[in-house]
Amino acid sequence: MPEVRIKTLPPPHGGKLVERVVRDPQMARKLMEKCSAVYDIKPTLFKGNPVRNVYREIMSVCYGFFSPVEGSMTKADLESVLEKRRLTSGWVFPYPILFDVSEEDFKKLGVGAGDWLLLRLKGEPFAILEIEEVYEIVPGDVAVRTFGTPEKNPEVVKVPFDQKHTGYNIYCSLNPIILAGKYTIINEPKLRPPFDRFWYPPKRSREEFEKRGWTTVIAHQTRNVPHTGHEALMKNAAYIGDVKPSDGIVVNAIVGAKRIGDFPDEAIVEGHEMVHLAGYIKPERHLVTFTLWDMRYGNPIESLIHAVIRQNMGISFHMFGRDHAALGEYYDIFATQILWSKGIPSFGFEEPPYMVDGGFYIRPQNIEEFWFCPKCKEFAYSANCNHKGIYSRYSGSFIRGLINEGVMPPPEIYRPEVYKVVVKWWQKFGYPFNNEKYLKEREERLEVDLPHMELPAHLKK
Amino acid sequence: MAKYLGVIIDEKRMATIKGTPLEEKVESIFGGALRRLVIEVPDDLGQKVIDQFTKARFDARGYIEETPAAFKRAIFKRIAEMKELSPAVVEKVLKEDLEKVKEEAAKEDKELPVPDIDISDVLELQKNPVQKPA
Repeated sequence: MPEVRIKTLPPPHGGKLVERVVRDPQMARKLMEKCSAVYDIKPTLFKGNPVRNVYREIMSVCYGFFSPVEGSMTKADLESVLEKRRLTSGWVFPYPILFDVSEEDFKKLGVGAGDWLLLRLKGEPFAILEIEEVYEIVPGDVAVRTFGTPEKNPEVVKVPFDQKHTGYNIYCSLNPIILAGKYTIINEPKLRPPFDRFWYPPKRSREEFEKRGWTTVIAHQTRNVPHTGHEALMKNAAYIGDVKPSDGIVVNAIVGAKRIGDFPDEAIVEGHEMVHLAGYIKPERHLVTFTLWDMRYGNPIESLIHAVIRQNMGISFHMFGRDHAALGEYYDIFATQILWSKGIPSFGFEEPPYMVDGGFYIRPQNIEEFWFCPKCKEFAYSANCNHKGIYSRYSGSFIRGLINEGVMPPPEIYRPEVYKVVVKWWQKFGYPFNNEKYLKEREERLEVDLPHMELPAHLKK
Repeated sequence: MAKYLGVIIDEKRMATIKGTPLEEKVESIFGGALRRLVIEVPDDLGQKVIDQFTKARFDARGYIEETPAAFKRAIFKRIAEMKELSPAVVEKVLKEDLEKVKEEAAKEDKELPVPDIDISDVLELQKNPVQKPA
C-alpha cells in the first residue's frame, strides 16, 4: 500500500535554505573593511511616488524566502528568468531580482566587478553586495518581458500592460545599471511593531511548524484585510491534507509598497490576526506571517514567487483563488489556476509547476470562488451552490468602496472585530487605505529599524 | 460585454426614492444586509468612467469600483432626479458634474472621517497576542 501520510515538511526550493545574515559584530566589521564604497538605498519612484524599495528584496533573499536566489541576478540569470522563468541552475524562478543604480550614482561609486559595496539603510550599515558583474538593462523591455504580452502569451494575457499596472511600473522605473552579486546582511534589522510578531522567515517558520507538530500546512496569500469570503476560503481549502485536514493554516501577507487604494499593511496583518484572536479559527491552527516584497500584481507569475516563498517556509499546499494577486483585466481571471492545473507553455510551463524539472513540491489547491448565498445560508462554494440570481459575489474593490462611502460593512461581509482593526489604523493614519501621504511616510519609516553600527574609517570619507 | 455601476441604498437614499418606480428596482445583496441600485452601461462608457479616476477599475464581476464616494453621490442624485437606471444617468454626471466630483474627490483622497465606533474590545483582545514579538 502506498504511504498516504505526509510526515515531513517539503524541502526548500533549490534544495538548501539560503541564510545570509551575519550576526557576529566582529565578523560584520571584517566584512565592511573589504568594501570599497557606500551606497544609501533609495526607493524606486514612479511619478514621484515610491513603488519599491530594494531593501525588501535584500531581506527576502538573505532570510531565505527566495532560496535558491542569493543576490542580484547576473545577466545570464536575468535572461533565463525572462525567457524560461528558470534560473540558469534550472530552478523555477519567476521575477528578475535586481540591484539597480543610476548612471550618475554608478560613476560616483566607482565600483566594478570584484568590488564589495556596503549598502546603507536609514543611515546605518545594512548589507554588503559582492559585485560579480555590472551590466545595463532597458527597463521597459524588462517590464514587458516580465509580465508577457497578448501576442506572446495568448493563453492568459488579454491586454498589453500599461501605466495603470503597479508591477509594470516598478520594472519600468528601474535604473539602467545593474550590479549583480550576492547580498549579505551584516547589521540585522529590528522589525517594527506590529510587524515584529508576524516575522517568520523560513528557518523560523519551519521550527515553529515542528514545535506545533505540523506536517501538513496550507498557505493563504493575502494583500487584503480578510472578509468572510477569505475566511471561508481558508477554512475550506484547509480540508486538503493527508488522512485528515491540514494541521496548519498559514497566512502569508505580502508587505511592501502597494498601490494607492489598498489597505495599509498594518491593518492587513492585524486583521488576519483578529480572525484567531476573536476565535473564528483556533490560534493553535492559524499562524499569521509576512514576506517583504513590493507586490508586482503578476497573477500567474506572482503565484510562482508565492510558491517559492511558501515552500521555503515549509508549507505543503497553496490555495489559489480567482484573480490571484491580480490587478485590472490584464490576465485571464483564472490565469493562476490555468498555470497550476495544466501549465502555460508560452511562459515555459508545458505542465503545471509542480510537474516540471526544477519545479515545486508545494501542491496547489485551486479554488473557484466563495459567495454568500441566502438560501444555502452559508458562504457557499461556487461549484456547489446553484442558486443563480440570489447569491452575492465578494469583491475587495466593492468592500473598499463601501468603507469609502462611510458604510459599515455588515457581518455577512466583515467580522465586526476585523472591521474594528481597520478603524484602529484609520484613526492612526487618518485614512483607511493607502494614499500618497501614507505611502510616502511609510517609505521613510519602513518596516524595520537598524541598530547603530560604526562605519570603518576608510568608508567615512 | 456590459459593465455595471452599483450604488448602495441606505435608509436616507431609500427615503428619497420611496414611491418612485426606482423603489421596485432596489436589489437586496448579502442576504438583505445591503441594498443597491445597478446601472448597466456599455463597455466604452464604463471605460470612460474608469479613465476619470486613478483608482477606479473593473472588478472580477464586471462592476466599476473604487470610484470616489463623491462620484457615487452624484450618480445617486442624478438617478433620483431622472428616475431611471440608464446609461444616460452616467453620461449626465460625466458631462455636468465631473468638475465638482473631482474637486470633492481630491479632498477625499487626503482624509476620510473616522467612523465613531467603540473599538475597545479589539484593543483588549490585542493586549495578549498569541504570536509574541520575534
